[in-house]
Amino acid sequence: MVKSLEDRLMNAAVLLILGLAGAAAVFPLMYVVSVSVTPFSEVLKNGGFILIPRSFTFSAYTQLFTESAIPRAFAVTVFITVVGTLINLVLTALMAYPLSRKGLPGRSFFLLMVVFTMLFSGGIIPTYLIVKALGLVDSVWSMILPNAVWSFNVLIMKSFYESLPEELFESARMDGAREFRILLQLVVPLSIPSMLTVGLFYMVGHWNEFFQAVMYVTDRSLFPLQVIIRELLMMTQQPLENAENMLPTETMQMASVVTASLPIILVYPFIQKHFTKGMLLGSVKG
Amino acid sequence: MEQKRKLAAVLAVMLTAGSVLAGCGSEEAAKAPAGGAAGGDGKPVKLDIIETGSGLPSPDQDIIKSELDKALKTEINLTVYASMDDYKNQLNVRMASSNYPDLFLVDKQQLKQFSEQGLLLDLTPYKEKLKPTLDFIGEESVKKAVLGGKQFAIAKSPQVPYDTYWVRKDWLDKLGLKVPVTPEELLEVSKAFKEKDPDGNGKADTFGLTGGKLGAFSTLFGAYGVGFEGGAPSVYVKDGKMVHALYDGNIKAALGFIREFVASGSVDPELLANSGLQHRQKAIKGEAGIIYVDWPNMTKEQFVEQMKAVSANVNWVQVGALKGPGGAYASGWDTGKTAGLYAIPRALEKNPEKLQKVFDLLNYVSTKEGSLLVQYGVKGKHYNLEGEKVVPTELMGKEGGYFWLYQFTGRPELEYLKVKFEKQAPYVEFASKQPRIEAYNGFINYPAGYNAADADRYIEEELAKFIYGKRPLEEYDAFLKTLEGSMNYKAYLAEAEKRLKELGYLK
Repeated sequence: MVKSLEDRLMNAAVLLILGLAGAAAVFPLMYVVSVSVTPFSEVLKNGGFILIPRSFTFSAYTQLFTESAIPRAFAVTVFITVVGTLINLVLTALMAYPLSRKGLPGRSFFLLMVVFTMLFSGGIIPTYLIVKALGLVDSVWSMILPNAVWSFNVLIMKSFYESLPEELFESARMDGAREFRILLQLVVPLSIPSMLTVGLFYMVGHWNEFFQAVMYVTDRSLFPLQVIIRELLMMTQQPLENAENMLPTETMQMASVVTASLPIILVYPFIQKHFTKGMLLGSVKG
Repeated sequence: MEQKRKLAAVLAVMLTAGSVLAGCGSEEAAKAPAGGAAGGDGKPVKLDIIETGSGLPSPDQDIIKSELDKALKTEINLTVYASMDDYKNQLNVRMASSNYPDLFLVDKQQLKQFSEQGLLLDLTPYKEKLKPTLDFIGEESVKKAVLGGKQFAIAKSPQVPYDTYWVRKDWLDKLGLKVPVTPEELLEVSKAFKEKDPDGNGKADTFGLTGGKLGAFSTLFGAYGVGFEGGAPSVYVKDGKMVHALYDGNIKAALGFIREFVASGSVDPELLANSGLQHRQKAIKGEAGIIYVDWPNMTKEQFVEQMKAVSANVNWVQVGALKGPGGAYASGWDTGKTAGLYAIPRALEKNPEKLQKVFDLLNYVSTKEGSLLVQYGVKGKHYNLEGEKVVPTELMGKEGGYFWLYQFTGRPELEYLKVKFEKQAPYVEFASKQPRIEAYNGFINYPAGYNAADADRYIEEELAKFIYGKRPLEEYDAFLKTLEGSMNYKAYLAEAEKRLKELGYLK
């Protein structure tokens, strides 16, 4: 097919704009990664700005993983992320499925309860009191359970379940399946793409866990990655009293930023395809 | 129909399960950490302490914690917060939910607020029990935490000044200039650094003076006899009268000179935007030739190494007070300031055993054995004693970075610094020996209706306008008037005068 000149110009313009947008997005990342692998003296010589490193060193990373609290914090964060996301998904599905069924008595009441929490929240102190009363303060669960269900995600799941064709449920019931079986063997497998999407939301939330850790946890060995990294980054602005503290160099700081963000960035490509995948592919055969 | 009802029931059960499960999980988790206050019977007493800071290792690697626990039969849980905001959130939440830490850091504003709310323990009746602590911090420091005649906190022992001007001697030599001793000479040098390419790279990429915001001008104010510290005006006594820097007779002359300095174009163009220690970074990168900063940031091996990497023959020298029309002072020096105020919650009254442990801890880090521990670490491991002299080992340099977090009552500053910073001793000495205007800001309590944060911010903004020529100096009196009127500064000044008389600084 021969394209007209206009078409080609149009394509070129689109490519150019997309290219620029892409470059703008990659640029800061590039900077962070480059600084993290360049010896600090080299960084200073270049006035603190390096985009393409000319000499490499991974000493910042080795230092991070051998001398600091990072490895432990990493483990805490992985635990929170994995266990937290599992709990999130189970609870969200258990809540969204009944709410999606038209026959549920008091459905609008329960829905209102869910939506209500999106608009009004208890505030920091009452929440803290509850967490404390449940004995969660200073445990890893205080970073998982207070946000075990996000109303917004429940609504997403609910509307997804609602979009499943009623015929599916009827045929399942005709074959003698009860509600739990329908949920486990029919609804859940069908909703993998939406589960993954919602799961990703939860996962990123857990990975970036910061606020609850600062509020509810005082035991250093339970601090997640983001808290420790923030401390590393803030260290350079400490009062003079700790004149003897070794300060992390910019290289170290950037390495810690990479350590904190890379794992979660790596997850995206694997889940992304589900974002766009047809949701009901092959479920009802006409 | 039957089927439908059944369906409804099952769905309802599921829903309940979904919403209640969270609760079940938490009950299980609650059993695991059986924390809380431990009783006596030889069991270690758990002490919760929170403060700002960073670099604390995890408890199992924290040697100071284990030594203190051993000596005091305690189980110390120290938590430090890198950011002041996080710390304030945590403290406020815990105070509001009566989950008090047993010892915690407060600033002046919090001291006032919490003591008014009746949340802090009045230590006055316990002064006898706290004798070693009070002796250690000294009489001056004891006064710093007195509100309405009651002792609401323990202030850390006094510090010494660290800040001075620093000038690139190698640049001076190259341009054939000498180390400045007057404000005018400093201006000359600053101009030369901007215009004469002191680093010889053929590019106009250098400038003269940098520093942290208006703090960069402290010594220039000092040359006019006006006390400024960290960009904020000091309160001091001159000829038997209380003087507030903003009302000092020389303030307009000082502002006029600084305005000229800025107008020369040789000052860091981002001066007012320098947050944290960005100015140090500029000095290291060889962009600035004059900097107002503390000695640790210029002389620690780590930074010297970095400077050398940028330019091999870099040579920074300290410049002290400059001789000007109002005398020669390096800056104001607030003797009422403290590195930290530690308060104890009033609720501990009901737990005398625990309270005693907190006192024990404070007393222990204030007496010889404990003080040495929190300053230098474990004897024979981090340091050795040669007679009375403390000789640090290599391990202290490696591990000692966080010990200061346990110095709840401070440390004998000069002595301490000379051990920890043997190589930097001359710089420590130089900065601490500079003449400074003795100020008393730290002693002054904030009167009702006066918001320190708002007033400070207004002062900083307006001063910046005067210095940068955005507001004519003729309007200076109008500025004071607004300050007194809408910022309630009159009340603050009155309180200052009252307090200074009370403490005997003013007759």
